[in-house]
Amino acid sequence: MSSGLASDEVAEDYKNSLEDLTTNDRFQISNLTVIAKENTEHAMAISRVLENHIRTTPPAQKLPALYVVDSIVKNVGTPYTLFLGRNMYQTFMNAYTLVDSQTRRKLDEMLKTWKEPVPGSLDTRPVFPPEITRSIESALIKARTAALQQQQARSQHEILTRGRNGTPLGWSNTQPPAQTMARYPPASSQTVPVHSQRNGAGHAYPPSGDTHVARATPTIQVQQRLEIDLSALNRDIEALIATARVDFANNHLDPSVQQRLKALLDLQGILQRHELTQEQLKLVRDQVSALAPKPVIPVPPAQTVPAVSTPPVAATPPTHTHSQPLQQLLNPGMLAGLIKATAARQQPTPPPQLAGILPQIPVMSNTPHPAVPAAPENPLIAALRAQGLLPPASAPPTASTVPPSNIASAFPLIVPGQVRYTPPIPTPQAQGITEGQLNVQLNTASIKIPRHTLIATLYEMRSNRCGTCGRRFFATEEGKERKARHLDWHFRTNQRMCDAAKRAQNRSWYVDERDWIKSREAGDDQDLAETEASGDTAGGHDSNVAKKGPSKPWIRAPNDAALRNTPCPICQEKFESTWSEEVQDWIWQDATKVGSRVYHASCYAEVTKEGPNPANRGAPLARTGTPDSVLGKRKAEGTNSPGQNVRIKTEPV
Amino acid sequence: MSLPGLDLTTPSGDKEFVPAPPTQISLSKGSEWRFEVAFGTIVRVKLLAGTAELFGTELAPSQTYTFSGTKAAIYTWHGCTLEVSAGESYSTVDSLAPGGSNGSTTTATTTGRGLGAGGCQSEYTAEETPMVEYANVHFALETMRQQAKAQGRDGPRVLILGPEDAGKTSLTKILTAYATKTGRQPIVVNLDPTEGMLSVPGTLTATAFRTMIDIEEGWGSSPMSGPSAVPVKLPLVYFYPMPNPLEAEGSVYKGIVSRLALSVMGRMAEDEDSRETGIIVDTPGILSQSKAGNVELIKHIVTEFAITTILVIGSERLYSTMMKNFDNKPTASASAVASDERISVVKLSKSGGCVDRDAAFMKAVRESQIRTYFFGNPIPSTASAALSLSAASTTNVTLSPHAQQLDFNSLAIYNYTVATLEEDEDEYDPAQFGTDSFLPGGGNEAELSQNYQHEESSATPVLPGLPGGSSSMSTAETANSASVPLKKLLPPAPTGLANSLLAITHAAPTASATDVRDASIMGFLYVADVNSERGKIQVLAPVGGRVPPRALVWGKKWPGEVVGLVG
Repeated sequence: MSSGLASDEVAEDYKNSLEDLTTNDRFQISNLTVIAKENTEHAMAISRVLENHIRTTPPAQKLPALYVVDSIVKNVGTPYTLFLGRNMYQTFMNAYTLVDSQTRRKLDEMLKTWKEPVPGSLDTRPVFPPEITRSIESALIKARTAALQQQQARSQHEILTRGRNGTPLGWSNTQPPAQTMARYPPASSQTVPVHSQRNGAGHAYPPSGDTHVARATPTIQVQQRLEIDLSALNRDIEALIATARVDFANNHLDPSVQQRLKALLDLQGILQRHELTQEQLKLVRDQVSALAPKPVIPVPPAQTVPAVSTPPVAATPPTHTHSQPLQQLLNPGMLAGLIKATAARQQPTPPPQLAGILPQIPVMSNTPHPAVPAAPENPLIAALRAQGLLPPASAPPTASTVPPSNIASAFPLIVPGQVRYTPPIPTPQAQGITEGQLNVQLNTASIKIPRHTLIATLYEMRSNRCGTCGRRFFATEEGKERKARHLDWHFRTNQRMCDAAKRAQNRSWYVDERDWIKSREAGDDQDLAETEASGDTAGGHDSNVAKKGPSKPWIRAPNDAALRNTPCPICQEKFESTWSEEVQDWIWQDATKVGSRVYHASCYAEVTKEGPNPANRGAPLARTGTPDSVLGKRKAEGTNSPGQNVRIKTEPV
Repeated sequence: MSLPGLDLTTPSGDKEFVPAPPTQISLSKGSEWRFEVAFGTIVRVKLLAGTAELFGTELAPSQTYTFSGTKAAIYTWHGCTLEVSAGESYSTVDSLAPGGSNGSTTTATTTGRGLGAGGCQSEYTAEETPMVEYANVHFALETMRQQAKAQGRDGPRVLILGPEDAGKTSLTKILTAYATKTGRQPIVVNLDPTEGMLSVPGTLTATAFRTMIDIEEGWGSSPMSGPSAVPVKLPLVYFYPMPNPLEAEGSVYKGIVSRLALSVMGRMAEDEDSRETGIIVDTPGILSQSKAGNVELIKHIVTEFAITTILVIGSERLYSTMMKNFDNKPTASASAVASDERISVVKLSKSGGCVDRDAAFMKAVRESQIRTYFFGNPIPSTASAALSLSAASTTNVTLSPHAQQLDFNSLAIYNYTVATLEEDEDEYDPAQFGTDSFLPGGGNEAELSQNYQHEESSATPVLPGLPGGSSSMSTAETANSASVPLKKLLPPAPTGLANSLLAITHAAPTASATDVRDASIMGFLYVADVNSERGKIQVLAPVGGRVPPRALVWGKKWPGEVVGLVG
């Protein structure tokens, strides 16, 4: 009884501690491991807490929690391996589907270590029983294959859409891509939009323009397309909502994501209540298709939509009349609004040109939807319009916006029923900014434009933050390394500060011009070797002062009385024996043995002009030593680092 | 940045003050919290949630930052919650800056502790800030850096101009902080002798910033014998012991600027990181007044540093002058002709948070800088005690300067003998050393002593060619371009030395006046006492051991007298 109660308490405590774990903090994780180790009798409760925590915590915090699991099973072992192993498949897969690709790589690595014995342990069994790891692995392989297929399908899309991207906005009036030129007589290609069959990929698509069709041309085919498949639309919206939900989960603080999600949910509600006219439905559909990140089709679309491959020759007569409104629709302001409302929010940008692909579903399913009597303007529609999700009311129902940009859809969509593949979190735009060229003009008008995506390069992009000083690092491998070095630096500095508190400190002299020009700023995230090297140059002669103590030459006082009374051949003074605590012996300070004779080191240096302590002769300067500023210096003391040679060379003699 | 109403406090009046309970301040996106803390009081600020930055430098979450004697603003791009609490008042400044000693202090009767959150003298939240502009300037500079790198040019050299208290130094900090955050290493040049950067007032400095700027302590700290929680910065320091760059027709100032620019260019040539990032030059506000000679001085700076970008804050008139003079002109860089590099002039808004800092506050700032140079950060930070192992947010380091006696005769002390423009207002100057005429560089002893005696004997000092556009002076100067208004002090030791600073240059005691002027300095001595009869002076040196045998320059007019640093 009592143990059960204690278990609850332990579990509660553990839960609270886990909630504090938001970053991959080695210290916290080892702490949690120690707690787990000390409470093996409550292993079951703790394991359950861990599993629950991993399930419920936001994606960004799943990795540290899983690392706790990893640390526990490796460091503590048995009871935990058993308890945690039971549900490991669910726990792991649940986390894996929700995290970004970088974290996935981490998880893969971790999983790999689970198949091996604990490093340094005598036990040759793997961390987790092979059944567990194997089941996870095979699920992952399946998921990857599916993702790969998607990707292939997508790259085919890209090949196909590339031609379209090249075509200008009001493309129905313009020349179709060269590819199709060859297949159609020039005369018709002037007017007939690319309703082509593309052999290259073996898939045929109707080109973007005519799929959404809202064209007034009275062909039967077109008529059919005018009917909007409500169920398909609903499906699309559902997919969008799913995406938005993931975004929301990842980024629940962002009001715009929230807003978007809400708008989509409302939209769904309206559709289900059949409140919209045919016209409005078309608008909605077009916008939805423009927003859709990717067709909701797990297999290459061509296979699901075989109908398209039937030669649609001259299906759509030219519709010159619509080119004007189309262009109006494409006014950049609205486009910007749309992209801003959707893309900039850590969310896969809707690849707008895919709009042309998506509507195939409605087109082909051919379920006519009875026109609903015109409802009064729904406030939501107005809201959507304000958000840029819908075009202005006055806009004629034409093809959806086809932005000229070619933002490739690098993101597979969540496929219901499959192992989920979540889009990676980082925004493609932001990455492009740091890696690519900035382009901010320095003039009065330009600098007044708020650029939040650029601010993100100072903050969100560098998500790995030092808790001590607030410095930010990239969440990449390199960033992690830098942060690790940076934390080491903090640690060393803190140690040194504790040491330094015991002795008096003082301001150093400023360096002179030459030293300053030669000096290089030592970062707090460099390799130790690097900092030493730069520290030495920056420090100039100061390093000598610090070095003087340990490196001052001494020898053990000889036992032989005759030798002991032999004076220094240079100054003819006798040596003084002093007791050294360090050596636990009598020593002669400032002495050096050259051949069989013993000299005062300073005398010898004077004579040979290359003493070990040349700065001693430059009296004032040596005393005045500049900064001990410099980082990582203590390491240099006493060690025979290669830096020492450099240092001596750079010293003014 | 400066904020107002700062006056010196009488800490004794605070004895019974009960610290206000911690206050939470929530900032919405894009707003900032402006606060003023008097000298002698301490305010602690902790970031509870969100992100926040102080002049571009980000605050770490849950770390306690201690502020004293400052007027600053904490800005947030994403929204944040701050906790503000009062620290205990301290009295180390007591002797340094006796409250109300300055008659101009209007609020001398009030205590330093204000009624704001955490005992701030004044604090409020502002929605409107020019941060978008300032951040865009950074991104524009970053664009230029990328372009420059692609074209094999040096990074942009930025000159920041604007009247007093327009936020020049704050902008410099913001640009520096963002650049270091982006992994750059700008060289920051301070040409404002009224306020030191990483050094005492009266210095012109250049520093390469690679690491974070200190949140609590201005720019941070120059190297010390011990470690520092925030990486120290290594400044190159020159001494210009006058508040106005235009003294002596700007000849002294120009000479030092040229020398400083030379060193900076030398560093740029060798340091890849700095070359790619470029230079940011902060200037004194006085340079932006419409006075004869100012434009010429700006031209000099623009040429010496091969400035590419001039940012003008809060002055339309200056902006138009700069446009006329510089916009679209080729830069002075050696490669300008080949690469067609042109100067651009940009106008920036002044922050509504900028407040005039009155003379008393500025004096306290200067004294605090000098004190910090010798004694370290005077603020007793409880953070350091509580978190002895992770005392990262505190810069509290106590330094121990060394007192010693020097033989005045063995020292080579130089003094700038420039008649100040505000000579008549200069209340303390009984000795009138500053009124000598120019001496030829490294003039011979005989002549010097002759002059000296001459001056000693004559009750009314001779004032040949006082500034103010006197033609005789400028002709005299052009006739002898080598002339530097530096004169060696001869015994007996003037009593005026007491309580002032001596800069130790890197020049030999026997160097010529030009060399002494152009030499960078290695540090400062504070003269605690003068015994003219015995020819001894009592000094405080930052570093123990023998004072280096170097030429010394007397900071007689500037930073002037600092009472009570010792004892």
